Amino acid sequence: MENHSLLQRLIARPEFGPFVLLVVEVAVFWGFNHDFLSPQNISNILAFTVELGLIALAMTLLMTSGEFDLSVGSLFGFSPVLMWTLFNSGITSLEVGFLVALLVAALIGLVNGWFVTQLKIPSFLVTLGMLLVVRGTALFVTDGFPQRTWSAEGSWLANILVGDFFIGPFRIYMSLFWFIAAAIALGYVLTQSRTGNWIQAAGGNPNAARARGVNVSGVKIGLFVLSSLMASFAGIISSLRTSAANPNSGTGYELEVIAMVVIGGTALTGGRGTIIGTVLGILILRVMRNGIVLIGVPGLAYNIFIGAIILGMMALHSWLERRHQAGT
Amino acid sequence: MAEPLIRMQNIRKSYGRVQALEDASFHVNEREIVGLLGDNGAGKSTLIKVLSGAVPLTSGDIFIRGKKVNLRSTSDAIAHGIETIYQDSALVTQLSIARNLFLGREPIKPPRFLNRMDQEAMNNVARDLLKQVGISKNIPPTTPIGSLSGGERQAVAIARAMHFDSDLIILDEPTNNLGVAETQGVLSFVRNARDSGHSCIFIAHNIHHVFQVVDRIVVMRRGKVVADDIDPKKTSVAEVERIITGMSDKEIRDAIADGKPSH
Repeated sequence: MENHSLLQRLIARPEFGPFVLLVVEVAVFWGFNHDFLSPQNISNILAFTVELGLIALAMTLLMTSGEFDLSVGSLFGFSPVLMWTLFNSGITSLEVGFLVALLVAALIGLVNGWFVTQLKIPSFLVTLGMLLVVRGTALFVTDGFPQRTWSAEGSWLANILVGDFFIGPFRIYMSLFWFIAAAIALGYVLTQSRTGNWIQAAGGNPNAARARGVNVSGVKIGLFVLSSLMASFAGIISSLRTSAANPNSGTGYELEVIAMVVIGGTALTGGRGTIIGTVLGILILRVMRNGIVLIGVPGLAYNIFIGAIILGMMALHSWLERRHQAGT
Repeated sequence: MAEPLIRMQNIRKSYGRVQALEDASFHVNEREIVGLLGDNGAGKSTLIKVLSGAVPLTSGDIFIRGKKVNLRSTSDAIAHGIETIYQDSALVTQLSIARNLFLGREPIKPPRFLNRMDQEAMNNVARDLLKQVGISKNIPPTTPIGSLSGGERQAVAIARAMHFDSDLIILDEPTNNLGVAETQGVLSFVRNARDSGHSCIFIAHNIHHVFQVVDRIVVMRRGKVVADDIDPKKTSVAEVERIITGMSDKEIRDAIADGKPSH
């Protein structure tokens, strides 16, 4: 068992499949069109990737604990709308509006977590309901129209969140660093901290965890709050970068995010999760979307490829799982 | 007379109109392995669930070393040093052996605010414990529970109870679905546990397994403890079987007082 070679151990890791897929994908797109790896295109891919990625990172932890959150897409749209509405009506400064939006998001996460853990309603139903409530609120307060966004350039908040600069030929947004920081922090929490052990136990065998004195409900509520906060944060970043606050933005993101997480190797049933895998999953889907357009496949065909990737990766993961269970 | 480790007195438990336990009294001494026997529905499981905090009792008292305790949850019972190992042992199959051993009590590496587990210490303790409970195969402590056999899982659960100084380890059908070698393994962990100062309650349908390890046999029938001082060295399997299935009280008394196999 211990004398497996380094290569064998590498292949046995759950992140290996997604890694190979990403490499193949990049190689194929680059083969078709060398512009794919141009600095400008890489910068383009990264700009939006990290915004969805922030949500996927939090979702990884939540799904490891055995729950998931369908309301993230609606929060992605709602939070910037709330922030800009508060700012435009002169009630608060932009900074306070930002904090209020995060606070409201945390509250929504708390409600999600409370319904799931205390009323014992499956997270699918709770967060589906919350999706409609939040999206509905966003549409109602704006009458369905995009909010006027003052060009946020110059505000220190905007600079910290999405200020851009060039490293060589690469245009980098500050959000990339937020994403990297979040990936490192959450990866650390999941694999190194005792909280991570509780998250995995909560998803793997909640009764066993409870019997050992682990506060399973507390862990899950905390992760619902984290998921809502990250969705809200990502929505605000996206809104500042594009100078737009549309009550409809973020529609369908919840499924794309969940797809990213499971493609990366996190179990939909809980108990096992990987941040590295999720980062790979994020890149796989975003590179796919960008590459398809670049090599001339109609953008509308994008979903065909995404669906095929999800099915293929699930088949691979289940095969690896069965082989693993057989003890080889 | 010394106060026993655990004393349950006049325990009643009813589910609606069904009386699962009627005035059951039961005790376990320090460093003693007690075999709890009885037919299906005799009340063994209910008695154990009450003691492990899984179900509340209707009336009666539980004393630990002479002090009355109130066990409202399984974590209450664990805090009082009572560890229960069920058939489907309470382990997280996705987590490694070491992570399961320390679940809920993970050692933290300083500085504390980083909340970082001391995985090296966890793995070292786990490696030692695995040796102690007699897993001779070289299994790294980072192996997930999911790839262990049934007997190895029981061993990990027992190791956990031993490491955290549980005074009483309750084993509910620990030898079910185990192979011969694995069963012998579990039985020897139980003996080790007693030798290192723990008490055990051992529940099994297989009377022969019970006879191999226990110091004293307690028999339940229809929610009552009908015999609580059977010495396995002086009583035959057949006699105990007769007590389990039911005989007149006089016959039971005679059988125990006789102190000799009757055939």
